[in-house]
Amino acid sequence: MTGATTPPPVDDRAEAAPETRIVVANQWQLIWWKFRKHRLAMFAGLVTLLLYAVALFAEFIAPYSAGTYSATHTFLPPQNIQLFQQTETGWRFYPHVYGHKVQVDPESFKRTYVVDEEIAYPVGLFVRGEEYELWGLFTLDLHLIGAAQYGDPVHLIGTDRLGRDVLSRTIYGTRVSMSVGLVGVGLSLGLGVILGGISGYYGGLIDNLIQRAIEILRSLPTIPLWMGLSAAIPLTWPPVRVYFAITVLLSLIGWTALAREVRGRFLSLKTEDFVIAARLDGVRELQIILRHMVPSMTSHIIASVTLAIPGMILAETALSFLGIGLRPPVVSWGVLLQEAQNVRSIATAPWLLFPGLAVVVSVLAMNFLGDGLRDAADPYQT
Amino acid sequence: MIWYIARRIIYLIPTLLIISVIAFAVIQLPPGDFLASLISKAEETVDQAQVDALRERYGLDEPIYVQYWKWISGIITRGDFGDSFEWNRPVSDLIWERLGLTMVISLFTLAFVWIVSIPIGIYSAVKKYTIGDYLVTIIGFIGLAIPNFLLALVLMYIAFRYFGQSVGGLFSPEYIEADWSLERVLDLLSHLWLPVIILGTAGTAALIRVMRANLLDELSKLYVDAARARGLSELKLLFKYPVRVALNPLVSAMAWIFPALVSGSAITSIVLNLQTTGPLLYRSLQAQDMYLAGSLILLVSVLTIIGTLVSDILLAWIDPRIQLQ
Amino acid sequence: MQPTHTRLNAAAATDDVLLEVKEVKTHFFTDEGVVKAVEGVNLSLKRGQTLCVVGESGCGKSVTARSILRIVPPPGEIVSGEILFRQRDGRTVDLAQLNPKGREIREIRGGEISMIFQEPMSALSPVHTIGSQIMEAILLHLTVTKQEARKRAVSMLDLVGIPRPSETLDAYSFELSGGMRQRAMIAIALACEPQLLIADEPTTALDVTTQANILDLIADLQQESGMSVLFITHDLGVVAEIADEVVVMYLGRDVESGAVDAIFHDPKHPYTRALLQSIPRYDSRDNKRLYSIKGTVPHPFDRPTGCPFHPRCDDFIAGQCNLIDPQRALISRDHSARCLLYPTAAIHNPDEEPAT
Ligand SMILES: Nc1ncnc2c1ncn2[C@@H]1O[C@H](COP(=O)(O)OP(=O)(O)O)[C@@H](O)[C@H]1O
Ligand code: SF4
Ligand SMILES: [Mg+2]
Repeated sequence: MTGATTPPPVDDRAEAAPETRIVVANQWQLIWWKFRKHRLAMFAGLVTLLLYAVALFAEFIAPYSAGTYSATHTFLPPQNIQLFQQTETGWRFYPHVYGHKVQVDPESFKRTYVVDEEIAYPVGLFVRGEEYELWGLFTLDLHLIGAAQYGDPVHLIGTDRLGRDVLSRTIYGTRVSMSVGLVGVGLSLGLGVILGGISGYYGGLIDNLIQRAIEILRSLPTIPLWMGLSAAIPLTWPPVRVYFAITVLLSLIGWTALAREVRGRFLSLKTEDFVIAARLDGVRELQIILRHMVPSMTSHIIASVTLAIPGMILAETALSFLGIGLRPPVVSWGVLLQEAQNVRSIATAPWLLFPGLAVVVSVLAMNFLGDGLRDAADPYQT
Repeated sequence: MIWYIARRIIYLIPTLLIISVIAFAVIQLPPGDFLASLISKAEETVDQAQVDALRERYGLDEPIYVQYWKWISGIITRGDFGDSFEWNRPVSDLIWERLGLTMVISLFTLAFVWIVSIPIGIYSAVKKYTIGDYLVTIIGFIGLAIPNFLLALVLMYIAFRYFGQSVGGLFSPEYIEADWSLERVLDLLSHLWLPVIILGTAGTAALIRVMRANLLDELSKLYVDAARARGLSELKLLFKYPVRVALNPLVSAMAWIFPALVSGSAITSIVLNLQTTGPLLYRSLQAQDMYLAGSLILLVSVLTIIGTLVSDILLAWIDPRIQLQ
Repeated sequence: MQPTHTRLNAAAATDDVLLEVKEVKTHFFTDEGVVKAVEGVNLSLKRGQTLCVVGESGCGKSVTARSILRIVPPPGEIVSGEILFRQRDGRTVDLAQLNPKGREIREIRGGEISMIFQEPMSALSPVHTIGSQIMEAILLHLTVTKQEARKRAVSMLDLVGIPRPSETLDAYSFELSGGMRQRAMIAIALACEPQLLIADEPTTALDVTTQANILDLIADLQQESGMSVLFITHDLGVVAEIADEVVVMYLGRDVESGAVDAIFHDPKHPYTRALLQSIPRYDSRDNKRLYSIKGTVPHPFDRPTGCPFHPRCDDFIAGQCNLIDPQRALISRDHSARCLLYPTAAIHNPDEEPAT
């Protein structure tokens, strides 16, 4: 008797209406099921979570602090981890890196490093190193990875011109870069939801005005504008204020895509039965928006937000790279890439591009994740 | 059609107004009176009469809207963008060639983006869920994720490290200051490929995805089946109907691709040391040479607005439904 | 072949059968599972006649029509059965065997068999003129010059009753009303004088007056040209008006087929009866509530066992209908039903065999 108990087809609105509550309760589950099928998006989601974890626990994960420098180890190339060491009795498990000898070219006086296999610096997990304060609460000296003996020069991705550890700085940069994206998108979302919502809900003249404004903003070349506006941020401002100013600038121009998305959703929802029903019941406008329309858009908005963050990260990186975004001593991926601004410095130390890899990975991960979320946000569509 | 174009041009006026206000705001943003900074920078003592003349010219003692009016009316009526203090020359002397080169790079990149993305997008949609499609999708995502300047740096490094070449610039040294000639044009073209590829990567990746999604949408439409039911062969069918319809959103995508190209070329040009508006804007901002900076922002914005207008008109021309609205 | 089939195949031997669909199965191989959209359908259409296929939405009518033209969208495929079509040159081809992208089927499409669709708006290209689409069909199948094709296109638009045909030739579909669009679709379909017109619910999306006009138009054109029409609809009122023969479909198979009179006046299958009872009649005096078939068409993944109609059937015989898949039972010479209420044994009885 299976046939008689089959639920009605989805497009049969009238019959589906009494079941709306059940359908809503299942919506997130449906989305999750559909999302789970997306292998790549799942993996990307994991990478994204990992990146935010790195941002949260940067002090613990990084072997050194962002500012630790060593005048005797400038432009040190990356050291490969050797897992085993040969002894008289055979190979033993002993993770370590080789040391370096400095050679000075007699003619050009250029310093070069030569790997010295005689010296082995042991590397370990959960090692004791520099002291740090985690979130300003705990003072610890435990590091996820680093030299097993405090003080050994272990630089897995090499060092920069001041002998600072590139890996550690990239890890600290994660915090700023990933959070600029998050905060910027948060602000954009606020603007986008408010303006897009007003536009889509009321329509008419207001809609027209807002749409024109969005069109204008979208037709402007953003980077020159950002350059112009951020150049006006006084050099004397403290880093935190600069950080917020940049974030605000980014979101002032970045809200338009989200606003469009929200408006589109509103327009299509406005005619849905349950919203009309709510209005006929005399529910106040704002309440309609908050109670009924916003929740049913959430899945789409989450997807759009995920897709908007990479744009913010890229913009921040570009501005800071040019030296008109965040400035040292703040450490962001863009600020770090400033060290690699010309071919000469890259030729001497290609590892300075490592923060660029972090940018690419994070942007890729969030794009894949957002794409998967967007597909899953419509659980009924195939 | 003429009415449609006229209407679009009228719509442009408020946009231009807003842009000019933003550009003027950029000029005004740095704290302090720029004349003061000019005087402090000048090596010789400045003639007081000269300073007064400048005050008069820019209306510095008058309310802000009068200053705006003096500035914008000077641009519109006389093509006078003010003076660059750093270069000690009228802004208009400095910008036109750079603006032209920005335009050339952007247009070449646009052509590149289209020529590459359309066939790949079609392939990806027609062969959806094949290995080729996945490959295209993944490469596309990576293309989107690499910032222009990073790509520029990496390519420059590769060229330097493995080919011993120092790439960059738009001209060979002997042509940088030369007058325009056929040789100079050819030299320009031979330097253009690198910035075009760098700038075009992200746009190409984006358009492939747009093309693929649109075409997939169109392929399942009834008019495609109807044409198939008429006996058209699959290949002719594909190009006459769904591809043709899917091109429309691609043309309208130009409206945001073009600003993005102009925008992206600012940074890429700085890294590759191209003689476009980007590096000039960058330098002027750092030197607080505000009339130059403001003029550049104004003109680059106007340039993209014109690009958007052209894409709108093109879209109306290829899609008969648009004009009706 | 089972005896059932040889019996009905007798008709195929006669010259005036244009199309014969035998036990065709078309399945969609989706990620979620196999959708058996058409699960053994049989039709037979004579020259110059109109065959109506009726059934609720989702019964596989459109997929049947598309199977004939071989335009089933992927992941759909014809998995078995024959579609015998007699071409103009007298040869009979099995359309089910042709390469769906090959030359042979393409010459038949639009040339010998044309199709019109439910939604005239989406069946016309949004960015091509009406003329470009008619002339395309003409140039594909007839050896004419562009000018001749254009002339013919104008006369086709005139024929289907479009006012100012030469102007409409350069119009886009969005500039026409729904009725005019469907007329334009008909003009495209008939431009090469096909032997068979497949009309898949051509009037469903139109208002009542336009519906009547389009039906009249199709009937007139059929009279003039002598083509056959395979008309798909869920509206029994339309069937009564235009059909010679009727096939009732349920869950991808023909459950009852016969001449229009037999179906309307002597329906055998419980599904046909239920359908007939659910048409509103303006001659009924009493205020009896309109009968509607209980339940809904099951999802194709949950195909019921035994007789596919059994969960909704009023005459359900427990222990039989849910276990035995009914074979086709001959009621009379060309009236058959797939229902356990009627003995299939009759078929095996040589006495009952109609004289040929
Ligand atoms: N492209 C497709 N993919 C999967 N299933 C399909 C597709 N097209 C039709 N079907 C299924 O085939 C069945 C019959 O559809 P259809 O022939 O359109 O019904 P009808 O025309 O009688 O209303 C339906 O259950 C539908 O779900
Ligand atoms: S076989 Fe049984 S269930 Fe099926 S139609 Fe006949 S009586 Fe009804
Ligand atoms: Mg149908």
